[in-house]
This record gives sequence, structure tokens and C-alpha cells, in this order.
Amino acid sequence: MVSQPEELKSKVSSRTYIDKTQMAGLWFALPAALALLVVVAYPLLYGFYISLFETNLLNRWDFVWFKNYARIFTSADFLGTIFTTLKFTTGTVAGQFFIGLTLALLLNTKVPGRAFFRTILIVPWLFPEVVVALLWKWMFNPLYGLFNDVLLKLGVIAEPTSWLGSTETALPSVILVAIWKGYPLVMLLMLAGLQAIPQEQYESAEIDGASWWQSLWFVTLPNLRNVIMISLILNTVWWFKHFAIIWVLTQGGPITATSVISIDIYKTAFESFRFGPAAALAVVVFFIVFLISIGYQKLLGERQ
Amino acid sequence: MTLKQRRRWQLTAVFIALAIASAFVIVPVLWMFSTSIKTIEEMFSLPLKWIPDTVSWDAYKRIWTDYPFGQYIFNSLFVVSGATIISLLVSCLAGYGASRFRFLGRTAFLTFLLITQMFPSIMLLIPYFKLMKTLGLINTYGGLILAYVSFTIPLASWLMLGYFESIPKELDAAASIDGASRFRIFWQIIMPLALPGAAATAIYAFIVGWNEYIFALVLASDVKMKTVPVGIGELIGQYRIAWNDMMAVALVVSIPLIAIFLYLQKYLVSSLTAGAVKG
Amino acid sequence: MKQCKVLARAILILAFSLSFGLSLAQTTLRVMSSTIVESPEGEVEQAIADAFMAANPDITIEFIGTPMNDMFKVLTTNAIGGELPDIFTNTPEFVAQAADLGIAADLNEIFDEEFLSGFYPTTLEEATVDGQLLLLPWFTVPVGVLYRADWFEEAGLEGPQTWDDFVNAAQTITQDTDGDGQMDRWGFAMVGTKNGSGFFRFTHLLRSQGAWELYKDDEGNWQSDLGSEGMVNALRIYKELHDGGLVPPGVTETGYGEAVSLMASDKTAMMVTGPHTIGAILEQNPELEGNIHSVPVPMGTDRSASLGIGGFSIAETSENKEAAAEYLKFLVSTENMLEWNAVTGRMPAQIEAGDQPQISGPIYAGFVEAITIAKPMPQAAFYSQIQEVMGEAYQAVLVGGVSPEDAAAQAGEQAAAIIQDAQ
Repeated sequence: MVSQPEELKSKVSSRTYIDKTQMAGLWFALPAALALLVVVAYPLLYGFYISLFETNLLNRWDFVWFKNYARIFTSADFLGTIFTTLKFTTGTVAGQFFIGLTLALLLNTKVPGRAFFRTILIVPWLFPEVVVALLWKWMFNPLYGLFNDVLLKLGVIAEPTSWLGSTETALPSVILVAIWKGYPLVMLLMLAGLQAIPQEQYESAEIDGASWWQSLWFVTLPNLRNVIMISLILNTVWWFKHFAIIWVLTQGGPITATSVISIDIYKTAFESFRFGPAAALAVVVFFIVFLISIGYQKLLGERQ
Repeated sequence: MTLKQRRRWQLTAVFIALAIASAFVIVPVLWMFSTSIKTIEEMFSLPLKWIPDTVSWDAYKRIWTDYPFGQYIFNSLFVVSGATIISLLVSCLAGYGASRFRFLGRTAFLTFLLITQMFPSIMLLIPYFKLMKTLGLINTYGGLILAYVSFTIPLASWLMLGYFESIPKELDAAASIDGASRFRIFWQIIMPLALPGAAATAIYAFIVGWNEYIFALVLASDVKMKTVPVGIGELIGQYRIAWNDMMAVALVVSIPLIAIFLYLQKYLVSSLTAGAVKG
Repeated sequence: MKQCKVLARAILILAFSLSFGLSLAQTTLRVMSSTIVESPEGEVEQAIADAFMAANPDITIEFIGTPMNDMFKVLTTNAIGGELPDIFTNTPEFVAQAADLGIAADLNEIFDEEFLSGFYPTTLEEATVDGQLLLLPWFTVPVGVLYRADWFEEAGLEGPQTWDDFVNAAQTITQDTDGDGQMDRWGFAMVGTKNGSGFFRFTHLLRSQGAWELYKDDEGNWQSDLGSEGMVNALRIYKELHDGGLVPPGVTETGYGEAVSLMASDKTAMMVTGPHTIGAILEQNPELEGNIHSVPVPMGTDRSASLGIGGFSIAETSENKEAAAEYLKFLVSTENMLEWNAVTGRMPAQIEAGDQPQISGPIYAGFVEAITIAKPMPQAAFYSQIQEVMGEAYQAVLVGGVSPEDAAAQAGEQAAAIIQDAQ
């Protein structure tokens, strides 16, 4: 039976087309689900499993129920470490977000040389974490570092300062390095997201006499909401778990000024070789991060 | 002030802002370069010099002669390209599926994606190793590709979901009226419009894989299989760091990355054309 | 005709057995080594391996290079995954863990007594857990004090024998040599980082004050002196050196590498370290040749010294233990040890090599003495946690404004809790 196009259009509305076909969705999602189930589910479950033991994972398995968890929650240091981790994460994610978003907005204009700027500004992200950390460690060096050299010449400081070695400046310095390394990804995601905003919306805003600030607030940001939310959630998750840059810069010092939770996990697992307690810490981190992501979703209004 | 003058002021301001931001990137990178042409003797001399008294390009030679970085670069390129392509395909499919279809278990699937990212990676080292050993993938390209695919699928899928969401669903409906199969709609109609998102996702997946260190170290420790980050890690000895070699290597291997970025850039800025919706 | 067929068959069978036999006879030794990726150590190690392969054509040595910083992570992961090499780098820091995992073979059963008696007994002691010799000592990196002989001579000083000498020397040498108002020469390159390099150097100061961070008492129980008077003294000395401006700024971020650079760039006069550092300093500043001398770690109430052994273990799961033993024997032969020392500065653990003039001469004198008086590292799985506590204590005194008494008190409590926990 052949119907006229108009009739068909009324029957096959976009809504029915999409809701009707569950099987298709499953097929599309299958490769990803399968890959992750095979490769990630096992390690995750393994991690949960060994957190219930005192073990060296080879020949010594002592089932200790939740003793590892009890130890964590009764330890005085744990809260302090979590607090330090939160400080680091907040500083880093916020910094990367503001810088990344601002740069993306700037790059999205018709400024001359934007391809050049785009390439330059993405460079920090291209280097391995260890190289970035070592570079900055050296630049922060009190005697041989570029940082102090410039600041001394500009008269900002009077004598060589140990940025990574004093308890007040260590964490901000580490955050600075993390922001430098990580803002390009945020910038990239925002930039791609900005491309999807229809030009008409800007034009109609302009016709309505909106200033650039209003246009930003009422046109750009709402359209970017999904990208912003996902990048904030995942960025927070990643930097909460972060290890490498801090380890190279300060190893969690001085004293405990930059001791984030991943450093604790690393030391427990690979310096003390206590895998049970390390796994328990990892599980606790997992739940904390999970809660944070739920918080984000509530706050930014997940729109599915 | 006329509109045109205002625009020019704005663009000038933007240019200056971008130039200042770029300076924060260029200065450290120039320092890296300056380090790479220094000899060990001049590395820690005071006062600080940008151009050393003895300019030595030996580090750039040593990369190829003293260390097998040629092999390392090949390994990295192969593994990471493979992982990126697979990851991109899988996550585009997943993102599209989650965007267009409210299938049973969709929320669980999306949450599962996020959850896989929440566990501290250091604890995944040993189970990953055991898994790869069971699959016989230790010291193979396949093992690393599989690992990197698993690292990048979650964010990549979420990103593609986000980008697909911003493409009007009426397009799909319109195309289906014209009789296209679901896969064709995905592949021929919607994907081209999602290219900026796909480009960003591809860049993300590539960089993540390229710079990954600890899993590469553990899963592919055979000298023929090592990747670039592992090679760089070897420059950090127990008692000394080969600063000039390391900076030279880091700069040299960033060149393919910049090349790939330059290539993918043009997709990043293609914009949605208006009027794509039929009817 | 029939004879031809029989002959042909015989030849075929012979050919098959020969090739089968030959392939069986070809052994591959997989060696996971941290020194193979270092320079200049790697070149020497490879040369020794090549010489061995030339002399033993049926054995092939395959190196799996792993940086020292990641060695034990990779080793543990491989062990748990069931993928151990035949030979692997091992040190006293890891030997207790290796014992726990059961991955190292007992070398007492593989090497004969005569061979083993050629090693300094202190080195074998550190390599033994519960009566089992788990690693074969290859080299030692003992600790002493390196100092600028030329500056000391100018100032009329001798190499410091006690900590008082040390502090005095530091005070004399610390000065502003070019009169610009900024200090540019300091007495001591203190390694104040909270890592192995920092822990290990502080430990020597601590032990010279008669306090041990961890030890077994006569009843066989673990004890720690981190809360003792000796610890307070040690912390006081650190504080004096730091607050007196006798160390360059940024002491808690000065790690081993930074300290070496300070020595090489004429910024500091003394450093607590091993003989290998001489080479590192000279590499950065060849003009200092002959100007760096050594003395043992200064005395407090006690002498302190440590060995810093590096060596190899043979994996329990290895199927090529005899071949591995042959290679290791070759590696530690006197000739190879002298070559190793000449290039890398690391010292032999073998008595015959140690007696050679190359080693027992003046440059290494302080270090040779150290080998004979050294006490072994405590072998406890929780040792690294004790070290952490110690590190936090000295950093708290250096930059955290905590008094030595308070820091020691807290460290003592924390150490006791760790020991308690581990029972």
C-alpha cells in the first residue's frame, strides 16, 4: 500500500520513531557494553573482592571482612587526606574549566591567527605527565628555576622561594601545574560544543540587543550544558584520582601538604605491599567519587 | 562607535588575550628546547641561560642512536591509532544509540560507563595484567589496544552522546521517511553532522593513549614492544635524570601529535549548516 | 636398495634428534634488570652479558629493562600474574616482600659455600631472610660524606669526623662569596625530600645518635627508637643546619639529583651519599676531579653505615636455574667487578675485588670501611611505613615549625602504632 508523504509524516513522528525501537538502541550500545564488561568489570570486581582480605595476592589470603574499611574510617589521617584531595580537585577542575571555557570562547571568534593559537594552546596536553611534572619541578627550583629567576628580576619576591617545598605554597603550585597540563582538553571539548550552536540563536539575540555577556549567559551556556556537565563530572573524577604529577613534584610532601588519596593508595599497595587495605581505600574513593557525580547531576539538572 | 569599529576593538582584545595565554605555553616549551640543547655540565649553571655557551644537538642524535625511539614511536603510533579508531567507532555507535533510543537499561548503561572511570587506576594494574595474561595478550599490540580502548570508551561515548543530542532528532525522522535503514541514517546522515564532536573525541582518545605510562610499562615490557612514554620513563634513572635527552624526546614525539591535531582541526570547526532539516 | 632406505631413515631420525636436541640445549635467560636501562651502567652490563654469551653459545641472555623507580611494581604485578623472568633485580628494600611472595629461590641451594664465602659477610646478611639467601649481592653503594677538599683546605678544615665537626665546617664554609648580599655557598646539600633518598640519609644521622628507626630486641619483638632522645638529637641537628642557613633554600624539595647539582655547581661543600655520586658530580663538572674526598658518616655516639646493596635473585619458578647461576657467577667475577666499578663508581660486594688497589685506594677509603662496619637493613614488611613516619617528622621540623621534641614524640607514637598493627 502506498501512502502519500504527508500521511506518512503524520504517522511516523519523530517521537514514535525513536521510542518504538528498543532493540536498535541495544544493538548500537552493544559493542561498548561488551568491551567494558569484558575488560573493566573483572578488574573492578577483583578490586572489591580483595578489599575484604589481608593479602599479598599470591599465597597469603586472610579473610578479614570489613576490617580494612574500619581501619580507614577510624584513621585520623583519612579525613585530612580526603580534604587535601578535595582542595586539589576543586582548584584544578575550576581552574581548567574557567581557562578552558574562556579560551574556547576566544578561539570561537573571527580573530586572525586562530588556527595558530588553537595549536599552540593545546600543546601542554600533548606532553606526558611525567615530562610536564619534571619540567615544572625544575622551573620551580629555588636556585635554578625559571620561575624564581623571573620573579626576582621583576622584583615580586626578594629572595629565592621554595614553592614546592613550603607547606603554604606546595598545593597551589601543584594545582598550577595540573591546570597547565589539563586545560586544553576542556578547551577542546568546549570548542567542539560551541560549533554545534546554531548561528541563528546568536543572530536573534543580537537583534534583541543583547550584550555579549547576555548572549553568553542566555545562548552559549545553555547550549553547552550537556558538554559542560559531562566534562565537569569526568574531570572531577579524574583529578580526584590523580597521582602522577603530584608524585613527581612532591611525593605528597612537604609533610602532608599535597598528600592526595591516590598517593596513599599507591604507597599502601606498592611500597608496603598491603593490597587488601589499598583496595579498600580504592573502593572508598570510588564511592566518594560516585556521590560527587550524583551531586553534579542533581545540581546541573541532568536532562536525559 | 560603529559596529565595525566595535568588532575590531573586540577582536584586538581577543587577540591580546590569546597572545598572553600562548605566552604561558610558549615560555615553558622554549625552556624545554633550551634544555635539550644544553650539555649536562651546563644544565645547572647560574645565572640561568636561555642559550648555553656550548650548543649541543647531541641529544637529538642520541634519541635515535642510544635509545630505540624509532621502534618506540612506531609501537606507539600503531597501538594508539588502532585504539583510537576502534574506540571512536564503538563510542559513536553507543552515543548515537543512547541519544536516539530509550532502550531498556539505557540509564544503567550510561551510569556503568561513568562508573568504570571512578576506580583508582593503580589498583587496576594487577587485575588487568592477569586478564591480559589469560587472554594471551601480554607483550602484544592487541593487549595494549584493548586496554586503551577500555580507558577511552566511557568519556568518548558520553561526549558523542552529548554531540548527538545537539543534532535535531527530526533529521532522523525525516530520513526514515525517505526509507533509509537505521544504520544508514546513523552513518550517512547524522555522523557527518557530528564530525566536530568526533574530531574532538578522536583527539582525546589519541592523546590519552599516547601518553599512557604505567599500563604500557606493565603490559608491554618487552624491548620490542615498548611505547614512547615507557621509553621516556627509562631516562629517569635511579641516580640521574637525562634532562637534555628527555626534553629532546618530548619535543620530537610531540611533532606527530601536533601533525595529527592540525589534520583533525578542520573537522573541529566545521559547523552545523542551517536548513538541514527537511520539510 | 633396502639398505639405502634404512640409511635414509637413520639419517632422518638422526637429523631430527640433533635439531631437537640442539633446540633443547638452547637456553634463554630472561633477566629483568634496572641497571640495563641506566647510563653508563647499561653499557657495561650489556658488554658483560655479550661476553658471557660469546663464551656460552648455548645460552642467550634477554634483558627486560625496567627503571628502578618502577621495578618492584612491575615485579609484583608479574609475580601475581604468573609471568616471572628467570633473574630479576632485587635489593634489601624488597627482599622481605620477595620472601613473602615466595618468588626468589634460596641461593644457598644453588651456589656452593666456597663461592659464597667470597662475599663480605655483611652483604650476605642483608640478603638473607629466615636463613634463606634470596639475592646474590652484586654491588654495594655504601654511604659516607663527600666533601670539597679544596674549600676545606682553604678554610683549614679536615674531613669531619663527628657531627660537631660537620656543623662547624658547614658554618665556616657558608658564605656570600661575591658580596652581593645573597648567600651563594652553603655548607651542606641536605636531601630533605620525603622519599627513599631522604629517608636513607636521615637514617644515618639517626643511627649515629644511637637510635634505630626499627630493630628487633632480644626477645625478637620489633621496636622503634623514633620517640627517643637520639631522635630528638638527630632532629635538632637537622634543624640547626636548616635554621642556621647552612643549607640552600628549598630543602624539602632537594632530592638526590638536586643535591648532586648543588655539589657540581659549586654551591655546597658536603653531601651525605655514596661513591657513585662522585662520577655524577664529575660528569656535570669535570673540573672538580681530585677535589672530592670522602669520609665515613660522622660519629655521634655511634658509627653508622649502610651497604646499599644491589643484586639479582633467581626466580623460584625459573626452569634454568643452573644457567642463571653460571651467568651470575660470571657477572661477579673480579675482572667484571673492576670494570663495573671503574665505569659506574658502584663498589663490589666481593672480597677479592674489594681488595684490589683500584678499590682500596684513597678515594674510596671511607666507603670501604663502611662495608665492614655496616649493619643490615631491618627486614619487615612495614618498614616503609616507619620510614614515612620518620620523613614526616624531619619535614615537620624543617618547614613545619614543629619542635624536635614534639616531632619525635609524635613519630614515636605513630611508629608504635604501626608495629602494634602489624602483629
